[in-house]
Amino acid sequence: MTEGHVRVDNITIEFKGKQGPITALAPTTLHLAPGSFTALIGPSGCGKSTLMNAIAGFVRPASGAITLDGREITGPGKDVGVIFQQYALFPWFTALGNVKFGLKRLGLPKAELHDRAMAALEEVGLAQHARKFPQELSGGMKQRVAIARTFAFGPKVMMMDEPFGALDAQTRVVMHDLLIDIWQKRRATVLFVTHDVDEALLLADRVCVMSQSPGRIIRDYALDLPRPRSLRAQAETLLPIREEIISLLHPSHSSH
Amino acid sequence: MSDARQTDRAARGASGLAAGLTGAAHLAKPLLSFGFILAIWVAVTAAGLVPEQIFPAPLSVWQAAVEMAANGTLGNDLAVSLRRAATGFAIGTTLGVTLGLLTGRVALVRTLLNPFLTLLRPIPAIALVPVAIVWFGIGEGSKYFVISYTVFLTVWFNTHHGMQYIPDIYLRASRSLGASRMREFVQVVIPAAAPHIFAGIRLGVALAFLSLVAAELSGASSGLGYRLQEARQYIRTDRMFALLIILGVLGAVVDLIVHWIGKKLVHWQQG
Repeated sequence: MTEGHVRVDNITIEFKGKQGPITALAPTTLHLAPGSFTALIGPSGCGKSTLMNAIAGFVRPASGAITLDGREITGPGKDVGVIFQQYALFPWFTALGNVKFGLKRLGLPKAELHDRAMAALEEVGLAQHARKFPQELSGGMKQRVAIARTFAFGPKVMMMDEPFGALDAQTRVVMHDLLIDIWQKRRATVLFVTHDVDEALLLADRVCVMSQSPGRIIRDYALDLPRPRSLRAQAETLLPIREEIISLLHPSHSSH
Repeated sequence: MSDARQTDRAARGASGLAAGLTGAAHLAKPLLSFGFILAIWVAVTAAGLVPEQIFPAPLSVWQAAVEMAANGTLGNDLAVSLRRAATGFAIGTTLGVTLGLLTGRVALVRTLLNPFLTLLRPIPAIALVPVAIVWFGIGEGSKYFVISYTVFLTVWFNTHHGMQYIPDIYLRASRSLGASRMREFVQVVIPAAAPHIFAGIRLGVALAFLSLVAAELSGASSGLGYRLQEARQYIRTDRMFALLIILGVLGAVVDLIVHWIGKKLVHWQQG
C-alpha cells in the first residue's frame, strides 16, 4: 500500500511581475517517500515556501505535475495537512473548537467529534487548556493546537512551513520532541521547511538544500541516524554535513 | 482548604473594589469636562453678555426639559424618535450586512452593484428627504426610508471592506482542513470580517440619529427633530438646548451599548 507518496515532477512556478513573469522555482523534481521526513532548507526567497505551497495546493505550477499516490494535486485538500509559522488558528474558536473544525468533514456524531478532538489535544499535552482561546495561549501552545488540529484528521502528507520559527530556543527543543513523537506514531509524509540547519539535521531523514534566483534544489543528503539525535553525540556524521550546508547557504563566508 | 477559600473570597472582594475604583476613575474625566463646560456656561449667562432668549442659562434649559417632561411631549417624542431610529437602523443594518457579505463574496454581485453603491455614498441623508416625502408621504415610511438608507450604505461599505481584508492564511488553513465553501463562509469568513462589520454597525448607530433628525425636521408632527423645529417657531432656545442635550446623551448611551455588545460578540479582537 502506497500512502503519502508525493512526486513533484519537473515543475516550474512563476509569479506575475511588473516586467512579465518572474520564475520563483526553476524546474524542480522531488520525490517524497511514504512516511519519510524531509527538511527543505535555503536562504529566504529561495522558493522553499513556494514549493511547499504548491504541494499544499495553494499555488499551481506553470509546468510539470505534482501527484500524491498517483493523483494530481489541483488544490488544497484533505490528504495534505499544513502547519503555518503564524499558527493560523481561528481566534473566534477555542483550542477545542479549532481542532473540531478540522474534524468536521469526517461527519462524526457529536460525542465522537468531541472525544476525538479532546484526544488530539491530549496528545499534544493541552487537554486542560481545551476551552481557552488562542490569544490566551503562548506561541508554543498555539503551535501545539495547530499540530493537533492538522494531525487529528489524519492527512497522509504534512507540509510544515517554518513551524517553530517564531518560538524561543527552549520551546523549540520541546516542540521537536513532540513532533517526532507524533510523526513516529502517525507516519505521515512530512516536508519541513526551515532556515535553521541544526533543526533540519536533528529532525529529518533527508535534507534538501535550495539556492535562490531562480529557486532550485542544489543538494540532497540522506540522514540514516537514530533518534533522538544530538549534534554532539552524532558529531562525526552531522558536523561535516552542517559545515557543508552552511557554506552552501552563505558562500561568501567560506570563499575567503 | 477553608483558608484557601477565604483568601480567594478576599481576593475577589479586593478585585471587585478595584473594579469599582477604576470605574469611578473612568467617570471622573468626562465629569470634569462636563463640569468645566457647565461652569463656563453659567459664567457667560450670569454675566449677562448675551440675551437670555438667544443663549439660555443652564437653569432655564433644565426647567424647559422638566416642563416638556411634565406635559408629556418629551416622553412621547422620545418614544416616537427611538422607534424610528431603531426601525430604520434594523432595516439598514440587515440589508447592509447581507449585501456586504454578498458583494464581498460573489464576484457577479460585486460587479453589478459596487460602482452604483459607491456613487450613492456621498449623497447626504438630508438631500433624500424631499424624495422620501414624495415616495412615502409624511408618515413613518419616509422616516424609515431616510434612516435605513443612510445606515445601509455605511454598514454595507464596512462589511464589504471587512471581507476584502480577511487574512489569506485563514482561508488557506480552512481549505487545507477540508472545509466546504459554505462552512468556510459561515465559520471563517464571517467571523474574520466581524470586527469590520461591527465598526460599520457602530457608525450606523450614529448615522441613524443624524438622519433621524434630518428626517424629522421637515414633514413630521412628532419626535425630537420635529420638537426642535417647533421650538424655533416660538424662539424657545431653552427647549432647543434641552432637546439637543437629550439627543447627545441618547446617542452616546446607545453608542456605548452597541460598543459593549460588539466587544462581547467579537471578543477575540484586541483594542
